[in-house]
This record gives sequence, C-alpha cells and structure tokens, in this order.
Amino acid sequence: MSATETQAATLLSVQNLSVVYEPTGGEPVHAVSGATFDLGRGDFVGLVGESGSGKSTLGFALTGLSKPPARIGGGSILFNGVDIAGMSHEDLRVQRQGGFAMVLQSGMNALNPVRSIRNHFFDIFAAHGHVGRGDREARAIELVGKVELPAGVLDRFSGELSGGMRQRVSIALALSLEPQLMIFDEPTTALDVLVQHAVMNTIRELQKSEGFTAVLISHDLGMVLEVTERVMVMHNGLIVEDRPAADVLVSPQHPYTRMLLSHYGDPRAEIVEVPGLAARGAKRAPAVSHLKTDFVPVSDEARARAAGTEGVQRREGRAAREAIVVSGVSKVYPPPRRGEKPVRAVNDVSFTLEPGASMALVGASGSGKSTIAKMITGVEHPTSGTITFGDLQVDRIKRRSLKRLHTEVQMVFQDPYSALNPLHTVEYTLTRPIVNFGGLRGRDARRRMLELLETVGLTPVEQFAARLPHQLSGGQRQRVVIARALASDPQVIIADEPVSMLDVSLRAGVLALLDSLRETWGVSMLYITHDLLSARLVTDQIMVLNQGAVVEEGATASVLQNPRDEYTIRLLDAIPHPTVGH
Amino acid sequence: MRFVFTKLGLLLLTLWAAVTLNFLLPRLMPGSPADAALAKLAQNGPVSPATRAAVEAQLGVPTGSMFDQYLQYLGNVATFDFGVSYTFFPQPVAGLVAAALPWTLVLVGLVTIIAFIFGTLLGVLAAWKRGTWLDTLPTVGGTFASAFPYFWTALLLLFFLGYVAGWFPTSGAYGRGTTPEFSVEFLLDAIYHAILPATTILITSLGGWILGMRSTMINTLGDDYVTFAEANGLRPRTVAIRYAARNAILPNLTSFGLALGGVVGGSLLVERVFAYPGVGYLLYTAVTNQDFPLMQALFLIITISVLLANFIVDILYGILDPRTRR
Repeated sequence: MSATETQAATLLSVQNLSVVYEPTGGEPVHAVSGATFDLGRGDFVGLVGESGSGKSTLGFALTGLSKPPARIGGGSILFNGVDIAGMSHEDLRVQRQGGFAMVLQSGMNALNPVRSIRNHFFDIFAAHGHVGRGDREARAIELVGKVELPAGVLDRFSGELSGGMRQRVSIALALSLEPQLMIFDEPTTALDVLVQHAVMNTIRELQKSEGFTAVLISHDLGMVLEVTERVMVMHNGLIVEDRPAADVLVSPQHPYTRMLLSHYGDPRAEIVEVPGLAARGAKRAPAVSHLKTDFVPVSDEARARAAGTEGVQRREGRAAREAIVVSGVSKVYPPPRRGEKPVRAVNDVSFTLEPGASMALVGASGSGKSTIAKMITGVEHPTSGTITFGDLQVDRIKRRSLKRLHTEVQMVFQDPYSALNPLHTVEYTLTRPIVNFGGLRGRDARRRMLELLETVGLTPVEQFAARLPHQLSGGQRQRVVIARALASDPQVIIADEPVSMLDVSLRAGVLALLDSLRETWGVSMLYITHDLLSARLVTDQIMVLNQGAVVEEGATASVLQNPRDEYTIRLLDAIPHPTVGH
Repeated sequence: MRFVFTKLGLLLLTLWAAVTLNFLLPRLMPGSPADAALAKLAQNGPVSPATRAAVEAQLGVPTGSMFDQYLQYLGNVATFDFGVSYTFFPQPVAGLVAAALPWTLVLVGLVTIIAFIFGTLLGVLAAWKRGTWLDTLPTVGGTFASAFPYFWTALLLLFFLGYVAGWFPTSGAYGRGTTPEFSVEFLLDAIYHAILPATTILITSLGGWILGMRSTMINTLGDDYVTFAEANGLRPRTVAIRYAARNAILPNLTSFGLALGGVVGGSLLVERVFAYPGVGYLLYTAVTNQDFPLMQALFLIITISVLLANFIVDILYGILDPRTRR
C-alpha cells in the first residue's frame, strides 16, 4: 500500500476480495467485501474487529481454508504473485509447506486427542516430505524448543497438556511448515491472563527470529496495538481503517475505531472511565465520555438508567440489609488421581460483603474465585470455616433452607450462550423464578416479568418476552440472565465474569446495568473477574486471590494504583494496553 | 498395563456377581421343578408319595445348607457341570450348549463384526463425500433396508431365494446327509447353509452402522483439529482416516459392544426362522419345554457373553483412546 514498498517486498496482495456465506435455504450474506491490502515481507499486522465483523472469515480465506457455506465470491489473493483464490485443493495443499500457515482461535481443540504430539509433527513431515525420515525426531524437538517446550512433550497427548502448552504446540506445528505467512486467529483468547501474556511474547519473539510475515486476528484492540506495527480494523465485513499502529492510537480516523479505543482504560490511572460508566466516586454527570461515542446507543441508554431515570423501583423494604460473612473458609478437593496430593482450592479466606457494597474477587483461573462463589450459593460446602448470611448458616445449609438462600443470593453466569435454555422463551425463563420464589401467579407474574425486562433495558418488553434465546444478541442474552437473577428480588448478586464473553462495545452497557442495580435497588454485588479494568469500574473493594489465598485486599482504586503484592503487579502488567506501545 | 488388570478385575467381579445371581434367583422363586413335574402328573390322577420321591430323586433335590449348595454350585460351574437336560434326557446340558455355541458364534458373531466394519467404512465414506452419490446411496439404502423387521426380511429371502428360486437351503446348518467334520466339503456345505441367515443379519444391521458412523464423522469433520490438519496441508486421506474417522469411531464402539454382547442372546429369532442349530434355537426349545437346567445354563452363557463383549470393548477403548488409559 505504501509507496516505499517495492514489488519484490510484497508477499501478499489482496485485491477486492469478497467472501460470501451461502447457507442452504438462506439468503447469501457478504461476510467480507472489497478487501484490498498488501502485506510486505516481515510485516506484523493486526486485524481487529468484534464478533461478526468478518475478520476470521478473511483469515480463513487468506489461507485457502474457506469451506462451504463460505465461498470466495470475487477478487484475488496474490501470494508471491500467484493467485491462490481459485486454486484447486491439491495445489493449495502443496503450497502450504513454505507458504502460509494458520494458528486457530480455539487452539485448545486444535490437536487430535488420540494422536501423540510427535505424530502430529510426523504427519506434517510425511505430507510434504520436506524433512527426511532420519531428521524428523531432531526437527520436532527443535520446533518444540522454539516455543519453549521440553522434548518430552512429544510423547504426550493433547489431553495431558495445559491450554498454554497446547497453543504452543499448535504454533510449533504451524512453524514446522516453514511458512512465509503466519495467520494467528485469536491465539490467546481462551487462555488465562498471565499465560496469554507469555504466549503472546513467544509469538513476538518468533516473528522476529524466524522473520515470517504475521497477521494477528483479535477482538482485543489493546493487545493488537501493543504487539503489531500496522492495524486493520474490520466492521461489518469492511476494512474501515488500515494504518500504522501508532497513528491509530493517536488519531483514529473511523468512528468505529474511536469507539473501540474509548473502551480501553488503565486500571492504574487516577480516574478511570469508559463511555457509559463514570469514574467511581465521581459525580455522575450526564456526559462522562471523554471521547464522543455516538456509535453505541446502548451505553446512552445504560447511562440514563444508571442515573435512575427509568426502570422499576424495588419492592418496599427489600433493600439489602444482611451481610455475607465469610470467615476462615477453606475448600479441599480429593486428589484428582490416586497417589496425588489433595487440591486446596481455597485456603483460609475471610471477608465481609456489607449490604449494598460491591466487591471484586480477582484472580487468574484456578485461583479459587469460582469455588468461593459456589460455597456462598450453597452449591459446595467448605471443608472448614463458616459462611453466614443473616441468620443462615450457609456452610452447613440443608436442602430446606437452600430455597431461602437462593431467594436472597442469585448468580449471573459467565456464558450467556449456555445459561439460557434454547427451547424456552424469555417469558418462560423469567416467569419460573417469579413463580417459584416470589409466589406470584398468572397476571401478577406476567406483570412482574415485564417489569424485570424493563429494568434490564430490553424494550419494547412485549416483543422481547416472546423471543427465544437464539433471537437475541450476546448482550441481550446477558441482560435476560441478569433479569432472571433479579426475579427473586435478591439482596446479593454474584456476577461470575458477566462480560468476558461479550464484545467490548457491549460490555460497558452490561456493567452499567449491574452498577445501576446496586444504586437504585440497593443490591450488594460480588463481582468475580480476571479483568482488572472492569473491576475498577464497578467495584469499591477488591480482593486478589492467588492459588486459593487472598494476597491483597482493600479499596479497589488504591489497591490497583499502589499494588503491593507481586502477583497483583504481574496481573496488572499482563493487561495489554494501547498507550504502552512497543 | 494396569488399565487391563483393573478391567480384568472388574470382569471377574461382575462374573462372580452374575453366577451368584444365577444361583439365587431360581431358589427365590416359589415351588421347585419337582412340584412342576408333579403338578403335571396330578392332572391324570393322584400322585403317590413314592412317585414324588422318584421324581425328586430323578431331578436331584438339593441337600445341605444354602451355603453348601452355593459352594457345590460354584464347583459345578467351574467344571461346566450344568446337570442333565429334561428335554434331551439323559444328555448333559454342557454337551448340548457346547454343540450349539460354535454355530451361533460363527454365524451371528462373525456377521456382526463384518457388518460393523463394513458399515463403519461406508459411513466414513458417506461423511467424507457428503452430498455425492457415495453419501446418498448407502444412507438411503441403509435406512430403507434396516427399516424392515428382521423376521420379515428373513421370510422374504427364504421365500424367494430359498423356496421359489431354490438356490439356497431353507433350514439347518448343513445338509441332511452330512455329519459335522473338518473337511472341505462339509465347510462349503456349512457356508452354503449360512448364506441366507447371514445376509438377513447383514441387511438389517448394516444401515444402523452406516448412519451412526456418518453422523459422528460429520461432527468430527467440523472439529478444530480437522481444520488445523487441513491448514497444515496433510493429505486428504490422512485427515479423513487418522484425524476424523479415528475419533468418530469412539462413540460407536459402545454400540458395537452392545451388539456383540447381544449376539448369543439375540440370535433366537434368526435361528428360529432358519431352523439353525445354535444357542438361540436351543433356548427356544428349552423355554417351550420348561427345561430348567438347560435354561439356567443358557442364561449364564448369555450373561458371560455380554460381560466378555464389554470387556473386549473396554480394552479396545484403551487401545484407541489415550484418555481412557489413565
């Protein structure tokens, strides 16, 4: 694209490429249209967009992996001057060695569970014959060494490896093709924060040392800006921005890019706010955004609600009045296999969730935060220690009292796509808890159901009540999940990573909703997350968990601004941040 | 290796439980075989105590405590002593079963295995060439053929190929003039007699295997490791067999185990229709004649065959799926 690039320096040249989805019996959809760009040798380019923007579809097209119902509708992909868009399957297959490779989004499942890692390498060597029989073992060891894995990993099966190790193996496998172009499709999305950071570093170093051209596809603009030199932003199948990373950060051209950027913030900063969510403690002014975001109507709506201008009021006398007191709680699980040590998931944790307070429980996966949530909701019983809620002894709760506990303590789950029964309408889903916990029937139950929908901002309510989950977007589903949690008029809401599955632009809206519930309804909230930015936005207190134990606690702002524990500092450093640069 | 021993231990435990239940169940039932025999005699007039003693002596009324009987029973089972058949008096039950078992194992067992292998291969092909005639033909054909009731297919074949055309014999496992021996003529004769029943089993069971394998294979074809294998430029055949089919077969092994376990017990219908001298036919005879010793032995054989089939499938899983080996 740039004038300084000579023809020989261009590895990939995409001209007017379009990809069409042609589902049987459905209207064809243009997932990608008019994509035009060049990639120079050794470039590291980011491709950013939210779900449905067509970024993965483009990535699959570039590596010749478009499968029905997707089809390349037009345009050309010149790889080293040869058009691969219309190439036969076998010609493409041969091209892959020394050509283009791809590392998949869910690298967790990219390995054949019944084939050893060694055989994965040997299959590739055999398919292309580029490594002689005698050299294969040595080459495989060399390749896993490049992704910082020991040679012993070759004897393992994918089920015996951690998520990070599997993704490293996938990268090594892709490298074994000796590709000139590597496409990474969300390579770290499914991984834990700290692991994510480490894998990303490996990718960066490999790109430098091996000198391949790399495309990093991600929903996370912050990470892409930190890692790559050039950024392409996709929106509704169009590349809306294609400029050097530094320029994108300083002067984003397209409103969509500006909107994406506006949702980043540094949890360590003095004042943290994103559109739709004002800084905590600051006076809620109607216009809080420092960046104009006419792009997300949803956050305007959420902001309005946060100010308490609409939505139903809580029924009388039901504001949170009882604290959850957790004292000296430990949970030990029996060893996963015989001969191993028992697993200490939670180790001597104590805290009090005051009525109406909002507290964050932060930690990487395996830190015990979800186990704590399970114990508070009575799903699991602690091995030692006590949990009380009002006069309820939660740690020894019996089936009979569970219903009372669940009337007062409700969960919002992480994955809105699996938290709703796909066969039931929103009305049915919401009416069940209203009938079970609230004891309302018939017309009253229906009125309450519609009120709840209004509270979570799903208007017009009558229309949303009749819908099935698949007719809702991710953000709308999560609002239904929140409405369901509110149905019993609880005092406490436990939100387990409520926005981690949602697109950036939808997160602020859902977070604002949770925050406003606390303000207008007086619900206490335990907010479980690995995302420190959102913790900073919606909570006043924070507890950092590492391997089951609390390593740091205090007021959210001061803990994040002046972290004392090394683990908290590592968590903060692992957050990709566009302003850090590279 | 520990995996095999664990499974073997489990097999022996269930075997012991099955044998014990087989001992207990008849004793928990009211009455005795002697009562049943006497009741029949009583229809013709009063039965004298002497007759009763004679019948009881003939049938062998158990003596000693329950535990002694149990030990004796275990000993008998271990030495394959299942008593004397009522129907084929005075032939020992063990001999009858031993004569019938090979016919069933070879005919039904072999055909079940062949149907599984053949159906699985067709299912792989159908999924891999989805939408082509290689998919449509086996899928539609298999559904059509397996939709017929088993005995109806058997009767159709018997009537047209056996009776009308006269190409195949309509009953028995070998010709009337021959006796079982290891000679080429006898083997050919036995195969000739097995063709119709074997075809029936094949026709009715093939469709299920094709459809089962096809649907699991289509699922694995959408899995990430298949896409990744393609992205790495593996040969299509490697992707189809070692990546997709290799994983797709795992859930079908369970149904294979069930089918294999059902071979001995489930052969009743086919052997009845074709008058084939296997275990199923024997069971039919035993039940219609209230031949208790024979029935009890056959039930035990059926149980053991189910357990053995499950054991074999467990071991197969261990070989094919590294995740189960732990």
